[in-house]
Amino acid sequence: MTDKRSDRDFAERVLEHLPRPASSPTFEAALLASYDAWNAERAKGLWAAWNAGLRRFSETVWPDAPLWAPASALVAALVIGTGLGAALPAIISTDEPGFSLEQPESFNLFASEGTQEEDL
Amino acid sequence: MFRTFKGRRSDMHDPDADDVARAGQGDRRAAARLIGKHAPKLLTVARRMLGAQAEAEDAVQEVFLRLWTHAARWQPGKAKFETWLYRVMMNQCYDRLRRRPTAPLEAAEDVADDAALPDTGLDEGVLGREVARALDGLPERQKAAILLCHFRELGNIEAAEIMGISVEALESLLARGRRGLRSRLEHLKRFAGDGL
Repeated sequence: MTDKRSDRDFAERVLEHLPRPASSPTFEAALLASYDAWNAERAKGLWAAWNAGLRRFSETVWPDAPLWAPASALVAALVIGTGLGAALPAIISTDEPGFSLEQPESFNLFASEGTQEEDL
Repeated sequence: MFRTFKGRRSDMHDPDADDVARAGQGDRRAAARLIGKHAPKLLTVARRMLGAQAEAEDAVQEVFLRLWTHAARWQPGKAKFETWLYRVMMNQCYDRLRRRPTAPLEAAEDVADDAALPDTGLDEGVLGREVARALDGLPERQKAAILLCHFRELGNIEAAEIMGISVEALESLLARGRRGLRSRLEHLKRFAGDGL
């Protein structure tokens, strides 16, 4: 045990004399550049994956058509839908001014007419 | 690549987990933080394992490339990031050492050469070179164990995880490595005096 400890102490002391190589800013910059390169490749990969997904989707909904055809149909449907969604509530509210969702007083089943107190 | 180590540590706090996840999503500042924190220590260990600065830098580059490609898939809690990083680095070093065409240094017995040393006192540079030579003369696993525990200041459990061995095996490697260092450097005591 004592031998082991003295070996350890000796090793700790001598290893302190080892020169420690410094990590230069140039080296760290090179590492960061490798990250940038990887990130650029990754972004390209994401864009390619998005394109491939879009192409597969367009093949499903509109086989053998160029990509712009289903895309423009989708955009047209979106524009028409948004337009209708914005315009319809205004059309409905101006067409029939007498129409109301309120119920007449006589239809209110829960309205109290003073009879409950007598029952009690 | 992110293997689960023996003795799963789901409860541990991993200080790098957040930066790894961010770097995997393209956050450059997180990547820079990881580089600034780990590259210098990785380089120190790689330099000692491989001997040549240029090769050590290549190995560390390779480790970081592997890190970027796996960062997005990092699952915190399975293994401590730093442990994984050092394990990849040690594997890089072993691969490079094995690919070398010449026989490994440990095959040649180091002979202490007293004649090369000055009579009085020992220059720090000379001492450093002697220590480096003695360290290079150790078998690669003994050297790895000593480097991980000394330069990385790792506990035995973590160093054993990095090397993929049991704590007892690591302690045995450390003991043999330290004994080997001592027997190779004992002659320096005479020159270095109290410094050793």
